[in-house]
Amino acid sequence: MASIELRQVSKIYPGSSAGVKDIDLKIADGEFVIFLGPSGCGKSTLLRSIAGLESITAGDILINGEVVNHVAPRDRNIAVVFQSYALYPHMNVWQNMAFGLRMRGTPADEIDAKVKDAAELLGLTPLMQRRPSALSGGQRQRVALGRAIVRDPQAFLLDEPLSNLDAQLRAEMRLELVRLHRKLGRTTIHVTHDQVEAMTMGDRIFIMKDGRLIQQGPPLEVYANPADTFVAGFLASPPMNLVAGRLLAEGGGLAFVTDGLSLAIPAAYREAYAAWAGKPVIFGLRSEDFHDAPGGETFAPVTLQVEAVEALGPENIVIGRLAGSHKPVAARLSRHFGAQAGETVTLHADLMPMHLFSPDDGKAIPRPRIPDAQTRRRA
Amino acid sequence: MKRFGLHAGLWLAVALILLPPLWVLRTSLVPESMAYSTDVFPAFSLENYQGLFGQKHFGSFYLNSIIVSLGSVILAMPFAAAMGYAFARFETGGRFGRFLVLSLQMLPPVALVLPAFAILRTVGLTQSLTGLTIVYAALNMPFLAWILMGFFEGIPVDLEWAAMTDGTTAWGAFWRVVLPVSLPGLAAAGVLGFILSWNEFLFALVLTGSKTATIPVALASLQTSNGIQIGKVSAGVVLAILPLIVASRFIQRFIVQGLTFGSVK
Repeated sequence: MASIELRQVSKIYPGSSAGVKDIDLKIADGEFVIFLGPSGCGKSTLLRSIAGLESITAGDILINGEVVNHVAPRDRNIAVVFQSYALYPHMNVWQNMAFGLRMRGTPADEIDAKVKDAAELLGLTPLMQRRPSALSGGQRQRVALGRAIVRDPQAFLLDEPLSNLDAQLRAEMRLELVRLHRKLGRTTIHVTHDQVEAMTMGDRIFIMKDGRLIQQGPPLEVYANPADTFVAGFLASPPMNLVAGRLLAEGGGLAFVTDGLSLAIPAAYREAYAAWAGKPVIFGLRSEDFHDAPGGETFAPVTLQVEAVEALGPENIVIGRLAGSHKPVAARLSRHFGAQAGETVTLHADLMPMHLFSPDDGKAIPRPRIPDAQTRRRA
Repeated sequence: MKRFGLHAGLWLAVALILLPPLWVLRTSLVPESMAYSTDVFPAFSLENYQGLFGQKHFGSFYLNSIIVSLGSVILAMPFAAAMGYAFARFETGGRFGRFLVLSLQMLPPVALVLPAFAILRTVGLTQSLTGLTIVYAALNMPFLAWILMGFFEGIPVDLEWAAMTDGTTAWGAFWRVVLPVSLPGLAAAGVLGFILSWNEFLFALVLTGSKTATIPVALASLQTSNGIQIGKVSAGVVLAILPLIVASRFIQRFIVQGLTFGSVK
């Protein structure tokens, strides 16, 4: 059982821009958190620092309130599952799983029982005598998990454990990891660059970019209130539509204006955005906030020149350009929406979940938070 | 027809490579007096081998070669492994360090043999197997370190990290994971080092005495003022090649294994 806290942690590699800078974060005991970011953002470095595999340049790492900066990895009682699985190629499955216990001097009968339990939990029992080279990717993944589980560590650190699996297996293992976490209740840090894993698996997401922690919070909250254009773009597929334009005072209200398109800002945000009137801004709206019919006073019609339609089955992603401009936009519509490439269609954008970002640093311009669409509909 | 031409060419190449050693084998097995006969196989005789082991004490030279070659590998391996690991994992000395080590291998042996002799004379190890073993170990070490460095670089650092979170020290991770995983590499490097020492002539000639000569030196001594004892030379060459043939079979298997063993993913 472990809480993990990072205070002003930096890791700088001499002569390289990689690394992490001034990371502050707290992970509660038993929490399942996600480190999310593009490759090279420092999330794996941070994970290895917590495991003690990399020394940190500055700051403090605390486990259960104690500074562990100089505690060796083996004494932190943390298990790491690596992207490559890092199974010992010269040992069979049983030996791989027993290794950690043997190194800790666990009695043989206890090792036997624990390995057997973990193997059963993960469905590895028939494979115990095989070498890693004789296992499939999914099986190796399970062995790596099993090796972590048998040690009963106080925390699990998972470094992109699913990225080498095919799509179907990845979906299964996502559920399995969540199930395991619920069963074992151990603090878990899951590093990934996959937004589906980030949205579905964790209690909280920590989003990183260029070695810095940009935003943290529960997945849906981060999704609804991205701190900047990077988070807005990263956390969904297709990413949030971002259109550069200008905020103008119009009549009694505000409007976002770009290339012949004018969208009235919902009254609830007028006060918050007033200071930006007359200035260039970036307008952000998620693809699912486009609808095929008007739905209320915050809806505004938008004309789209369709360039492509991705029929995913349950839904159609309509990709096109705003009429009168070359700004690309993706809209997520029902599978019954029958647009074709080359057509011009009118969509209805719900502006309530919109965001404005500063074009200088990409930061979101603060506005009152709204309940997310689902809660609005229920109300 | 094209296939036939290709095969003919290949057979010619094989013949070019194989005929000389086969002729040596033939010469070692016919009486010395018929060594230069143009008959393919005039008569069968083991007199060359008997002479070699009898009056020429070839057995003891053979043993010398085994002791020196094996000893130098065993002596050099731990140092070479440590050096190769340091280069591979910690980039000790950087590129310059790596090149410096390899450049030692590029020095002409003649430049080293006299200093080596002077050093051994100072410590009183000339004409001894111990001296030659130490010198061979030193000569092979850069080369072995370089080969092992390649093997260690092929081992993902994740493996060591996994071991260290599993409860080993850094040393434990090296000992329990890196070394066993690189065993094929160690074996291949060891065999190569063995072959290098086995074939070495110049240092052996200068640093050994009549009792401590190795095979290459012993064979050279058959070139006497009374002419070359071609039969015995041939028999000696055959015997000298034998362990190398065994070793190359061995090394081939291990190098292949070493290449496939690295497929951790």
